[in-house]
Amino acid sequence: MKKRMLLLLLLPLIVITLPKHSYAAGNLQSLIDGTKEGGVIHLENKTYEGNIVIDKTIDIIGKKGTVIKGDRTGNVISIRAPHVTIKNLTVTHSSLNRNSPEEFAAIKVYTDYNVIDSVAINHFFHGIYLSQAHHNTITNAHITGQGKGIIAKQGNGLHIYYSNDNTLKNNMVEGTRDGMFFDYANGNQIINNQISETRYGLHYMYSDNNYFEGNTFTFNTGGAAIMHSRGIQLENNEFIFNYGHKSFGLLLLSASDTLIEENTFFLNQRGLYIDQATDTIIKNNRILKNQIGIELWASSNNQLFTLNEIEENTIPAVTLGGQGSSNQWSDQGKGNYWGKTFPVLDLNQDGIGDQPVSYQSSLYELIEDQELTYLFLKSPAISIYEKMNQMFNHDKTMFKDPSPIVKNGGSHARKMLFVLAAAAIIAIIFIKGRHQLCIIFGRNGRKT
Amino acid sequence: MHYIWKEWKENIKGKGLWLSFGIIVLVSIGLLYKSSNLSFDQGFYVLLINLFDAVIYFIPIICLFLGAFAIFQEKEQKTLIMLLTRRDDYKSFLLQKSIAVHSVLLGPVLLWFFAYLIIIKFFFQPDLKAYLAFLLSLLCLFLIYTQLGLLIGSISRSRMQIVGFTVAVWFYFFFLHDFILLSFLSDVTYENVKGFSAAYFINPLQAARMFLESSLGVYSFDHMSKLLQSFMWMKPGLFLMANAVLLLFTSYILAVIFHRKEGTE
Repeated sequence: MKKRMLLLLLLPLIVITLPKHSYAAGNLQSLIDGTKEGGVIHLENKTYEGNIVIDKTIDIIGKKGTVIKGDRTGNVISIRAPHVTIKNLTVTHSSLNRNSPEEFAAIKVYTDYNVIDSVAINHFFHGIYLSQAHHNTITNAHITGQGKGIIAKQGNGLHIYYSNDNTLKNNMVEGTRDGMFFDYANGNQIINNQISETRYGLHYMYSDNNYFEGNTFTFNTGGAAIMHSRGIQLENNEFIFNYGHKSFGLLLLSASDTLIEENTFFLNQRGLYIDQATDTIIKNNRILKNQIGIELWASSNNQLFTLNEIEENTIPAVTLGGQGSSNQWSDQGKGNYWGKTFPVLDLNQDGIGDQPVSYQSSLYELIEDQELTYLFLKSPAISIYEKMNQMFNHDKTMFKDPSPIVKNGGSHARKMLFVLAAAAIIAIIFIKGRHQLCIIFGRNGRKT
Repeated sequence: MHYIWKEWKENIKGKGLWLSFGIIVLVSIGLLYKSSNLSFDQGFYVLLINLFDAVIYFIPIICLFLGAFAIFQEKEQKTLIMLLTRRDDYKSFLLQKSIAVHSVLLGPVLLWFFAYLIIIKFFFQPDLKAYLAFLLSLLCLFLIYTQLGLLIGSISRSRMQIVGFTVAVWFYFFFLHDFILLSFLSDVTYENVKGFSAAYFINPLQAARMFLESSLGVYSFDHMSKLLQSFMWMKPGLFLMANAVLLLFTSYILAVIFHRKEGTE
């Protein structure tokens, strides 16, 4: 009898003290449901089963090792109340179903003024989805997709749909379908994000008056594709190594009133690809070491290029599909710097070349007609091809900059190199060639 | 083994090998210095691409000359006749000579590039897989052009002939081959694109570049058009291997068939 009583007492203790690896979904959702409006939930360093719906204003703060794991049937976290904060946790295993009417995400936001901070996301269709959600802040998220090249099976890192005035800052997205996707989203600020190994780092359409600053787009098939939009500002962004076949750093398609200022386009297949765009100002950018610096289709009008450094590109700029109207290569007497391949005199030392710089090319015909031309852009044969066609007058003027910028003074390092080389040559002559010099100039070792 | 040792002893006394190594070392150090202000993450890939773009200007011609003069020296010193009298088989002589020349050339180059990797670690985040792809591309270029040089040395009877053949081969692969392809580019269709692709990748410079850039993850073959998919009917690595095997084998066979045992001053 006593033993039976002891067993009955011990049994609950055993059940209570058994270590649990996770709370059931019901527990986390119950926790949320049981928290008052404005409350804060501090999660433990463990895995919680999703999916959860947040329908009141609360803060959910995790620790290192806090994971909310979905059951692959829907959104892992759905935010349906304003002023919610989610911070310091990992979200994983949303639905990957492509056949449902709803597109699922690790975190889907339907409301305004929410903050998502320091969240790691993996195994998802979309990473963070803003659906008609405004004035939200997404910062320090680390979103890792299934890998570059996997397009159909996954969605985008950050998907912004009919959502305005949001701030996306210091996020890192890699290996998703597109890094950031904007659709009918206006007035957003996108600052200091890093997007890599996606299809388009930025896939952007029908969205106006957004501001991009300090973002880095690398190793994508296309750095940023901006389409059918107005009033976009891009400042201090980097488009580097977007280098696939027909890749680009920045694509403007049917975009108008775009300001592209102080950006770097480096080692892309095409630095800037402009098609059917109007009223674009491209100013103070560095367009370096791309296969084609600027590819400008004749359907684009009123492009203004000024104060840019366009150098060491295989082809600095190419105009395709005819001559566009009203494209200008200088503004108020200030054009662009075209590098050492376009030597320019500046006798009055005012920093502006005394003659215009123009560039003729015959490659435009090949590029227009045959996409395989891009495979030859790094070949030394290109220069011979251009020269041959120049001789037979088969080339056309791609651009004419009436006021090219001149950079005064050679680099100190280059001058040092020449001095060292000269010193080395003189040393070699003296060490090896003294005897020969003596024979030539008569002394021949004799004291006379 | 004694062929390798003999080759090494002969070459370290000469200037050609040291001049070649000197150029490789100077160019790689120079490019590292020039790239030192690039970002820690991407600078490594930028450096490798720039280094490859630089070395293709002088590695082919150096390898052609070194390979050609390695064989021609045997003719000049009449040691070829002696070796063939002893062995009476140009095939086996050429095979051993080829292995010796490749070893003498590649050994120190590979050693240098392994040391170079250690230096790079102070500047950038290295990616070992990418670096191995870079070394493999260089290795293929060295092998192919050195073997072509051995062919030139085998068929030439004078130094002037060597210079002429070397410049012609270099000019062909560096400029003429792609120029010819560019001239036919507008005639490429879905029916003949595979043939055009084979002609494109016969150029070892293009095959090595494509392999390197795709291995670095820099060049992406995602979302290829139908024409490009037909063009890339094999993976870049296979194109490079096929190119290397074909050119090495062809050079060897042509050298065996058309060799001349003696040279003139």
